[in-house]
Amino acid sequence: MHSFFTNTQDELRAAYALSFDRNWPGWLGGILIAVIALMIFIWNVPWGVAGGYQNWGDWAYYWMGAAEARPEMPWINTLSVSNLGIFFGALASALLSRQFAFRRAPRIEYAKGLVGGCLMGAGAALAAGCNVGGFYTAVGIFSIGGYAMMIGLGVGAFIGLHYLLWEMEHLAHLSGGGKTENKPSKRDWSQIQPVMGVFLLGGGIAAFYFYSAFDLTKIGGLLFFGLLIGVVMHRSRFCFVRAFREPFMTGDADMVRAVAVSLIVFGFGAAVIKWNWIQPPEMGVFHPWIGSLAGGLLFGIGMLLAGGCASSTLWRAAEGHSKLMIAMVAFALSNPATHMLIAATGLKPYLGAKMFMPAILTWHVALPLFVAILLLWVLVAGWNEKTEKLIIF
Amino acid sequence: METKTVTADKIVDARGLSCPMPMLKTKKALKGLKDGQVLEVWGTDPGSANDIPDFVKKHGSELLSMQADAGGYTRYIIEKR
Repeated sequence: MHSFFTNTQDELRAAYALSFDRNWPGWLGGILIAVIALMIFIWNVPWGVAGGYQNWGDWAYYWMGAAEARPEMPWINTLSVSNLGIFFGALASALLSRQFAFRRAPRIEYAKGLVGGCLMGAGAALAAGCNVGGFYTAVGIFSIGGYAMMIGLGVGAFIGLHYLLWEMEHLAHLSGGGKTENKPSKRDWSQIQPVMGVFLLGGGIAAFYFYSAFDLTKIGGLLFFGLLIGVVMHRSRFCFVRAFREPFMTGDADMVRAVAVSLIVFGFGAAVIKWNWIQPPEMGVFHPWIGSLAGGLLFGIGMLLAGGCASSTLWRAAEGHSKLMIAMVAFALSNPATHMLIAATGLKPYLGAKMFMPAILTWHVALPLFVAILLLWVLVAGWNEKTEKLIIF
Repeated sequence: METKTVTADKIVDARGLSCPMPMLKTKKALKGLKDGQVLEVWGTDPGSANDIPDFVKKHGSELLSMQADAGGYTRYIIEKR
């Protein structure tokens, strides 16, 4: 009874169950994200997310008449396109997993999404990048500003968690869930969702060929990489907020390990690319250290309030969380506004210099130092997981 | 997981809340219970389906059951240990 057809059918069913029934482990998500981020680096420039929000916000200000210059079209702007890829990839993944639902939240959550999104947009402008461009990519491409942002994010997460605990003690009456219960829809969508997911992914891949037909292969590729990141992030629930928050909250160190493993893979790949001049060594290194520290702090508080960083806000919004949709809009509006403010106040020279680690220390020292810092992060988080020394709640 | 009929000593309604609020409320509620008492958490965030069982395990308590309610949310029944 094992014809080729029935066997293939069984294989596909097993692959579907493995991919979309259970969540992927965080470390697997981390490794896959590193590989995709390296492909983005070789294909174009190092990966970032905040610039995409900035493009969307620029359009809002242009329409309001607050900005003169017409921004790039969102389907042409490279960072906007990869963000759209993440959003639609995550939406397809949520549909394939039958997890998509429009999720309403209590009002106080919307307020936190709004404030959190604004803080993240402002922080990303100061740091010249968000948790991705300013921290993940920056550390991985040996820009010292990335470590400054890492410290800022840690302190910001600590402060943000204190706020959440205070809110839970003092404003508990505002966050009761009962009234905002999500009503189950009358129609059973669970059978249709995976079909919609397949169509959406297929449409994304078709869009690549469409871009290519218009001689925009590079941009089409970024859409494709974005789709992959969206699926991986959603399935592994890959979340930078967790990596910075959990050590203070539950002690869980799994996401710290996942981010560190991801960074080590990405960093080694980036070293190969840079050291071997496949891309210029200082490509993407533009993170001012003071701005990164201060921006990281604001961003860290913001991501705790919003419950998502630049990347996980995209995939959570795509899963249907209305709070994160608000955070997404707030981020997009506050980021270009802060950029304008920095330009208008002449703050830029005070944000500190960019620094390229191998230019100061040589590759021979920079590489082991990079690994050592990440290992230390994992070891401290792992020790805290056992001893709960850093837990504030 | 077997379904036991247990009456919860405390119910946490985290419906509509997204990560990390369901976890924070669960942790806080567990703190206020004595060993052997039962906590019931209602949630709608898909992330909780992993987070709550993982956390309960780490905490040393026991997840008695986790089931989809007809009202469109998930009920986590936890015995504090």
